[in-house]
Amino acid sequence: MTTVRTALVTGAASGLGALAARRLAAAGWDVVAADLDAGGLAETARRSPNTHVRHCDVADAESVNALVREVGAVHRVVHAAAVGPMVPALEQPLQDVEHVLRTDFLGTVHVVRATLPGMLERGRGELILFSSLAALLPVAKTSAYAAAKAAVNAYAEAVAAEHAGSGVVIRCVCPRQVDTPGFRSASSADPAATGRMRGIPPGVVLDAVDRSLAARPAHDLYVLPDPLTRVVARARRWFPGPTARLVGRVTASR
Amino acid sequence: MPPDAAPAPATHLIQGDRVTLPVEIRDAAVASAMFPVPAAAAQAVIAYSGLEVARPLPGRAICSLAFVRYADGDLGPYHEFAVAFLVRGAERVGAFIHWLPVNQTFTLEAGRTIWGFPKEMADIRMDLATRTKRCLVRVDGRTAIEMHVQPGIPMPPGRGVPSVDAYSSMNGVTRRTPWTVSPGGVRMRLGGGAYLKLGDHPVAHELRALGLDRARPLSAATVDRLRMTFQEAVEVRP
Repeated sequence: MTTVRTALVTGAASGLGALAARRLAAAGWDVVAADLDAGGLAETARRSPNTHVRHCDVADAESVNALVREVGAVHRVVHAAAVGPMVPALEQPLQDVEHVLRTDFLGTVHVVRATLPGMLERGRGELILFSSLAALLPVAKTSAYAAAKAAVNAYAEAVAAEHAGSGVVIRCVCPRQVDTPGFRSASSADPAATGRMRGIPPGVVLDAVDRSLAARPAHDLYVLPDPLTRVVARARRWFPGPTARLVGRVTASR
Repeated sequence: MPPDAAPAPATHLIQGDRVTLPVEIRDAAVASAMFPVPAAAAQAVIAYSGLEVARPLPGRAICSLAFVRYADGDLGPYHEFAVAFLVRGAERVGAFIHWLPVNQTFTLEAGRTIWGFPKEMADIRMDLATRTKRCLVRVDGRTAIEMHVQPGIPMPPGRGVPSVDAYSSMNGVTRRTPWTVSPGGVRMRLGGGAYLKLGDHPVAHELRALGLDRARPLSAATVDRLRMTFQEAVEVRP
């Protein structure tokens, strides 16, 4: 038998994290599924002898450090934990803004600082950081979320630059809306703000990550998982003004 | 058509956990291929079941090979490879499951205990994210089977939920398991579309004797999203 590899999945109680944890468990990885939602975690790990659930708040550095100390060598990190409330910037209480930044941005920093040193020591590892298309193209009601995810992208680029050629592969995944419980509740509460779009299936996003790990060079940081995400990201780069106006119209609240 | 009698929901204790039937699979991905094989030789392979291979073409039986990733279902997440032969059933054609390696212990015990499926532990690698889907089955460190399935043409969504019978035979007891499948995202091609390489395992040797090493399939298919249910097995007395 081949040696068992260990994956750490954050945000594993629902959505992308839950599916990532299940697919890795199916593939025979030893999976540490971390989240704050114990009920959701239990569902993810149901009848999976190789999935181990852990309570972890990524916003709390010590919580992440304690978990990684306990787990030991992690070969792949899938960092999916995030929050994304849709609120107009001036209506969002400051403490909510801080909560979003602490969870989404500092959560990523905590996970990277806890797991990357071990990977560098071993000279290999895969660090999958989930960001969002909102990081490249913020829209109304996503100010804190988009700012946090833009910070994730900048942080990932800098960290990847510092450790190019180290054998550790870093991916920053920027999907448009993904059909997860989080997105569904946001879009049913405010269909206009999400552009009345249907999210892409989480499996499509994870397939794109798998293809990127299998076939793309190590320095290819960004994963834009579906054609619409790629079109919008490119249009934003080459025609920033018209793209922002068009997307603004699509997601305008009425 | 008399509907199957509706008994009280059966439960089985597996690894200390109660599994209630029907077992539901909510999200699986599949790649499969069907190969024509000499009927007499195939019949000899499954003779222990007391069943008879279906012969859709003169002198030919059908061997169906598939690999499946179970992401969300009542038996937990796991990988599986299936070696099956189409057989004549009482009412409809069924699939006799000859070998069913899996890579997780919960489903191993559940499959053997509940339905008598010939599950065996194996190391099963899959690549389902690429256009050509690949699977490598290794048992005790040795390659048993390697299969690749190429992308076919998208099929329109099917109407209704097809019912199939899965047959199994363990320790001299042959069973029939009513089984429904509800596929989404199906791609199919006729004549080719799969690559099969057989390795070193008793079942691989059996398949090689049927002429399957590097054989060309009748058809190949991939399914992105498959939902299934498995009912309680009933004993079959041929």
